[in-house]
Amino acid sequence: MKGTGLLLPRATVGVSRWRRFRAAVDWPLIVVIVALCTLGLLNLYSATRGVRHHAKFDTQVQWMVVGAIGFAAATIVDYRTMVRLAWLGLGFAISLLFVARWLGSTGDSNHGITYRWLNIGGMGIQPSELAKLMVILVLASVFKDIEPSSYAPRRLLGQLAILVVPIGLIAIQPDLGTAILLGLIVLSTGFLAMPSVWPMVHVTLAGLLAIPIVWETMHEYQQKRILGFIDCGIAPTKECWHTQQSIYAVGSGKIWGKGFLEGTQNQFNFVPEHWTDFPYSVWAEEWGFIGSVVLLAIFGFLLVWVLNVALSARDRMGSVICVGVAAMTFWHVVVNVAMVLGIAPVVGVTLPFVSYGGSSLVTFFLAMGLVANVSLRKHGY
Amino acid sequence: MLIRQSSGPGSGNGPALPELHRRLKWVAVIGIGALVVLIGRLWQLQVMRGEGYYERTVSNVVKERYLPSVRGKILDRHGVALADNRPAFNIYATPRQMTPAVKAELVRMLGLSDDEITKIDERLEVGRKRDSRAAIVILEDQGRDRAALVEQSLARLPGIEVHHEPYRYYPQGDLAAHMIGYMTQMTAVEADRLGNQGYDTSELIGRYGLEDKWENYLRGKKGTERYAVDARGQRLDDATASALIQGERGVPAVPGANLVLTIDVELQRLAEKAVSRTAASAVVVVEPSTGKIRAIVSKPSFDPNIMTGHLTQAEETMLKQDPRKPFIDKALRMTYPPGSIFKFATAIAALEDAQAAEDENMFCTGQYQLSGTVFRCHGTHGKVNLLQAIQHSCDTYFWKLSERTGLDRIAEVASEYGLGRPTNLGLNGDAGGRIPTKEWYERTSHYKVGYATNAAIGQGDVEVTVLQMAMAYAALGNGGKLYVPQVVDRLEAHDGRTITRYEPQVARQMKTPSSALDIWLRGMWKVTNEPGGTAFEHGHVELVPVMGKTGTAEVKKHHKQDDEDVERWNPNAAHAWFAGWAPRENPEIVIVVLVEHGGPGGTVAWPIAKQILEGYFTKIRTPPLRMPEPAARPAAAPARKDVR
Repeated sequence: MKGTGLLLPRATVGVSRWRRFRAAVDWPLIVVIVALCTLGLLNLYSATRGVRHHAKFDTQVQWMVVGAIGFAAATIVDYRTMVRLAWLGLGFAISLLFVARWLGSTGDSNHGITYRWLNIGGMGIQPSELAKLMVILVLASVFKDIEPSSYAPRRLLGQLAILVVPIGLIAIQPDLGTAILLGLIVLSTGFLAMPSVWPMVHVTLAGLLAIPIVWETMHEYQQKRILGFIDCGIAPTKECWHTQQSIYAVGSGKIWGKGFLEGTQNQFNFVPEHWTDFPYSVWAEEWGFIGSVVLLAIFGFLLVWVLNVALSARDRMGSVICVGVAAMTFWHVVVNVAMVLGIAPVVGVTLPFVSYGGSSLVTFFLAMGLVANVSLRKHGY
Repeated sequence: MLIRQSSGPGSGNGPALPELHRRLKWVAVIGIGALVVLIGRLWQLQVMRGEGYYERTVSNVVKERYLPSVRGKILDRHGVALADNRPAFNIYATPRQMTPAVKAELVRMLGLSDDEITKIDERLEVGRKRDSRAAIVILEDQGRDRAALVEQSLARLPGIEVHHEPYRYYPQGDLAAHMIGYMTQMTAVEADRLGNQGYDTSELIGRYGLEDKWENYLRGKKGTERYAVDARGQRLDDATASALIQGERGVPAVPGANLVLTIDVELQRLAEKAVSRTAASAVVVVEPSTGKIRAIVSKPSFDPNIMTGHLTQAEETMLKQDPRKPFIDKALRMTYPPGSIFKFATAIAALEDAQAAEDENMFCTGQYQLSGTVFRCHGTHGKVNLLQAIQHSCDTYFWKLSERTGLDRIAEVASEYGLGRPTNLGLNGDAGGRIPTKEWYERTSHYKVGYATNAAIGQGDVEVTVLQMAMAYAALGNGGKLYVPQVVDRLEAHDGRTITRYEPQVARQMKTPSSALDIWLRGMWKVTNEPGGTAFEHGHVELVPVMGKTGTAEVKKHHKQDDEDVERWNPNAAHAWFAGWAPRENPEIVIVVLVEHGGPGGTVAWPIAKQILEGYFTKIRTPPLRMPEPAARPAAAPARKDVR
């Protein structure tokens, strides 16, 4: 059965190819994504209503179009082909990280020089976002054919160890948030895909023991952020104020929220950069507890749905892809929301489909495209 | 759950990833756990603490600002303003937003002087201690140009505001400055103390004179204004603000009450002009029938307009180093030996006790000996009776009287006339001074007979204020009523309605019998109206019968190089006094003039009093008097036996 692209249910023989395709496409997934994008745009409109930022809404819509095309592309090309090329892709991502390291533009001048961005044709691209996708595909490749008989944890861990390279490169950009997130994706997928969990337990413990070493190598501003998170009294930072204002914003929404465009914390810029890292605080202020829970529920449904696809996937490869995407989505949502609610330090982790920013948006479209891909090909051989 | 334990059709070999199936429970536990934590936190923030955070976000955007109340005016008896308000531009800054960059920009833009920069720094320091987020005045009463410059660049100057507010000013300049007083920004200590009385750190408060004493009536009640700002502190437009602010947009300010004085600006100006050639002096003009002060002068003076916020360091140092002490009110804060104008106490004490008589003659050889000490009279008067002794101001006669009366009797009469005790005007530290008694001397050192000799002519340890003397002479002139001096006639609301009218207050009725008083009064008449009188020799008022007494109070000699730098002011010269009234019967005004270190009373103080009296009767009094026909004068001249 090799080489066949789309395999559609046999029961539909005689029905047009288009109708068969339509029947196979994962509509609930698309509906959830569209719902999230709509809410995200609504929120962005409110967040950037100030004259200074009104162009951001249009930019975001353009990126959504780009993302939708990416979604379609990621759905149509067989995921098995992509997994076969995964290591190559990771190599490409790593080389981009290197390029960004040496040639990249300074993104965030507040924290000294960082190397997160690559300028391609006037657009800023974050190679770390590409790295996330490639790591998921590599994970699928690593776990694709583990038979209990040929199970060799050493070889597996050896392959996984290569993933330390991109994580390390991202960490020294420095973009600690994305590095930790990548680590969490690898760990989560490992926990769910390894035949035995013990090797992953060991890796996790080793990672925890490495924390003091990581701490020592961290930049002062990063240490401050984390200290500031633990207690604003120890190290009062800008982030500390951000978190405080974010908590005020969320809390002030009370049960029903202040209403669309009525959030004073948002409208008058008390939470800085609220369209990228803090859109959830804007949402919570304007839509209250009810709206906040509804948004979380939509993400919950998305996760459940992706895991559902993982369970019903045709092969291990597809299943692991879905688990990886689910892990990525899960940690993005949890870290971002926890940060907004003041129970996690301020790290640059976006809220999928809601945060403003092309790189993050396109990455999630592509990731969901992969899930749709797996879902589309779950039937038949 | 949506996750079904189903395998896709065609995948007959069981699930693709059996590990996932086995560990689904964990996935569920972690997923639901995370959800519970996040929703729990949301519940805590939004439902449990939501109300509190809501208030916080409101206070983030809704700010409150004091609306200055219009300070009450200070008016003279005819409604002429002595202290008023005019519009001015005040530049405010929020200390928290005042970064060095903002300050540098402000300094560059306005070309601020070092003095102004120091002032700004001091004020910001005070502001920071109180509430670093509340805007305070850093530069008050700025010109239109500066205000416009700042207003154009507000975008580059976060936290800086320009407000158009009433500003205190004194249209008469330094006229009656000591009485009116001035205002200054409060100190850090005061800011702490007055903060809970509704004062704002940046406010000016009355610092001296009436501005200080009547602060609570003049200041009115501040209003508040609520407005909305964004995160950078920029004010939001009115429509947005209305939507955000629930309830009152603010409370309007209540203007302060106007103070209507008993002072007559024209008379005050006349008196100040009369002393303009002196280096340091004081004048009090009182209405003897009520105790109302009509003019009160203390020289050297200061311009309250400069004192109110515009005083530079250099000017302040200069004023503080002036040996003439311009900040001390010489009419009621400084005490001086009264010299011969005090002799009424000695004369009345002796007459009351029948130890003196009008026609008793004594002989003045120019000196007087008492237990080995020689006292020198200022002239050799030969044979004089009491009236002549008053007329020529013969000290010997009073020295001899003091032998009979003793110190305590003189002190008793002086005290009865209110000398040596604060007058209860209650302004500028209304001083008491001192009327020494035997007991006082025993308490401080040891009593000697010579002390009474000195006190009899208002020297030695006798110390009084100009105002006390004015009230005492008013009592002499009005037949024996000692009034409490009064400078505020009434309190008016800003619409002109009278709130409180202050009635004249009699402190005491004198016990002096009219026979004794009459003898003293006839002596006074001779001083100003008969040849040989210490005042008559230096001028005579033709217009109206004037009563008076001159005084020349010797001062303790001291030599301080610095003090002699001031022109026409020799700290070793005697104080020149004049006290008197006009007309003789039913006097309209009592006038006391002191010229500090001016010299003889007759040559220095009397001409000043004469100038004021003539000016009063020809220009200020209604109706004004005309120069009398020569024939009319003798009719007023005969002495009267009884004075009301």
